[in-house]
Amino acid sequence: MKVTDLVGLALSRLGTGKLRTALTMLGIIIGVASVVALVSVAEGATAGISNQLQSLGTNLVTVSPGAVRTGATRGAAGSATTLTLADATALAGLADVQAVAPELTTNKLVVVGSQNETARVVGTTPGYLPVFAYQVWVGSFLSQSAVDNNLRVAVIGATTATNLSLTQASIGSTIDVGGLPFELIGILQPKGGTTTADDQVMIPLSTAHELLVGSNSVSAIGLSATSQDAINTVSAEITSTLEQRHGITNGVDDFSIATQAQLLGTVGNVSGVLTLLLAGIASISLLVGGIGIMNIMLVSVRERTREIGIRKAIGARGRDILSQFLVEALALSLAGGLIGIGVGVIASFGIGTYAGWGFIFNPATVAVAVGFSLIVGIVFGVWPASQAARLDPVIALRYE
Amino acid sequence: MSSLAAEPIITLDEVSRVYDLGKVQVPALNDVTLNVANGEFLAIVGPSGSGKSTMMNILGCLDRPTSGRYVLDGQPVDELDDDGLALVRSRSIGFVFQSYNLLPRTSALENVATPLMYQGVGRKERLRRAQSALERLGLGDRLHHIPSELSGGQQQRVGIARALVTEPALILADEPTGNLDSHSGAEVLELFGDLHALGRTIVLITHDGAVAAAADRAVHLRDGQIQEAVRE
Ligand SMILES: Nc1ncnc2c1ncn2[C@@H]1O[C@H](COP(=O)(O)OP(=O)(O)OP(=O)(O)O)[C@@H](O)[C@H]1O
Ligand SMILES: [Mg+2]
Repeated sequence: MKVTDLVGLALSRLGTGKLRTALTMLGIIIGVASVVALVSVAEGATAGISNQLQSLGTNLVTVSPGAVRTGATRGAAGSATTLTLADATALAGLADVQAVAPELTTNKLVVVGSQNETARVVGTTPGYLPVFAYQVWVGSFLSQSAVDNNLRVAVIGATTATNLSLTQASIGSTIDVGGLPFELIGILQPKGGTTTADDQVMIPLSTAHELLVGSNSVSAIGLSATSQDAINTVSAEITSTLEQRHGITNGVDDFSIATQAQLLGTVGNVSGVLTLLLAGIASISLLVGGIGIMNIMLVSVRERTREIGIRKAIGARGRDILSQFLVEALALSLAGGLIGIGVGVIASFGIGTYAGWGFIFNPATVAVAVGFSLIVGIVFGVWPASQAARLDPVIALRYE
Repeated sequence: MSSLAAEPIITLDEVSRVYDLGKVQVPALNDVTLNVANGEFLAIVGPSGSGKSTMMNILGCLDRPTSGRYVLDGQPVDELDDDGLALVRSRSIGFVFQSYNLLPRTSALENVATPLMYQGVGRKERLRRAQSALERLGLGDRLHHIPSELSGGQQQRVGIARALVTEPALILADEPTGNLDSHSGAEVLELFGDLHALGRTIVLITHDGAVAAAADRAVHLRDGQIQEAVRE
């Protein structure tokens, strides 16, 4: 029998029971559509998170204090106040460090006229702007002289400005931070991505030490390396510098270093697992779809016993019958797979647009989905087809 | 037809068929020996349960004898595997059934073309041959009707067209008039007469003596054994 004859038989058969064909294909359609959509969602989410991480800063390396150790009890990471301004100054001298931004973070009530909100107050230095990739919208950022002279000046994020109804015209006016008056000297451009990055008040680090916290510790030191490639070198240099300064010889550091590369790597790992998980869930529905096909093919073989007998009487060999039923199962699963890809692509597009990472289309997923539905067709079609092929023509012809 | 008896197309030599039902053995054919000459029109007549259909299944290579030899058109059939039997059915045998056995929801044209598909004939060629077979049987205006849109007599003529389209050495008909009224039945028998006149070998199975009268020769079967050979 020719392949074209087999395809012709399969198509005319699928055309005669349209409702049944549609219902049988539904399982495969749902399976393939969910594989395509879920993989696209996983990839989209990963891309979205990576973008946001990149917007956090350029070649960013963050040093945080380690945990406080009291006897055998280890406190939470970051609970120690081991990092100081002097550490930050020392790190600024390292070769591959472009800018350093020590920061001391507290939460304070900010009052402007009748409006108020509790905002994150960051005491920092001019390096904060380049390290965390901010840009000034209006006014200016904290200057070195403001830090040197403990000036009571403040720069606010875009969200904070909106929340407190502060505009261009408010530059030079006085705002109240933690009960003390500060002069507003600048408003930053919104970064987008994470909104918390735009909702904060920045004041000189020295002023924060003097008025708000009363020590010379810092809650973190942000650094930007000169290039992506320098990140690892910088991390190593930071480690040796700080170990030396803190007198650590046993390798148990009282600080920790996080780099963007690490974060991106972690996100990559997590999303890899996520993709596998989602693809696994979707494969289960594909499996269920395959069982649906097998079920309908078995019913079909039974219903068409007499037809099989007739075909054998007029010259069909076992393998002709086998191919006929197998191609029918393949046609079902392949047609279901193609429709499923269409549905999956539309769903990915909808979800991507809604979630804001745009449309991510991976041809590899489609190839895998088509391959998968073909395999499903063969695996679940071969048994019913061989049942048909093995029928004894005499018995089949007598079947009512 | 004695001149043709010299070259038998069918040779059955002490053929038996026993149905093995596990606990009981049902003998349906007992040591049947029979020759059918090329171009002969033979009727096999017998009451219900006498083994007619069993014989037709063996002659038609749908079933194998339990013992004995069957040679069809020079080919010893007992040596063939399932694919070999299918090939013999495809090339050498045309079946006509009592209940027509057309493929449902399939046009007369496609039904008649199907045996050619299993011979590997291209679609265009087989539709052409199927159409001419149907036209010869007076169904030129029913090509695209499906079986449920045809009368019993028309369906049986489609069945005969399907049996003829491959030009087989042997046409086997099991009660071909059994489901037809007397008029359509007579028409079908007339068709067999015409085919015979064109030189085809026909084996017709029936329980009806009147139907058997259309044939050259009738073989009577009773309890799986041949009773007598009647020459007309
Ligand atoms: N598959 C089978 N299994 C067991 N016994 C069978 C089988 N087929 C036929 N028989 C038995 O073999 C004998 C002959 O049956 P067969 O069908 O050949 O008769 P027949 O002459 O065609 O009868 P009818 O005119 O009713 O069609 C019967 O006794 C029947 O019961
Ligand atoms: Mg019978």
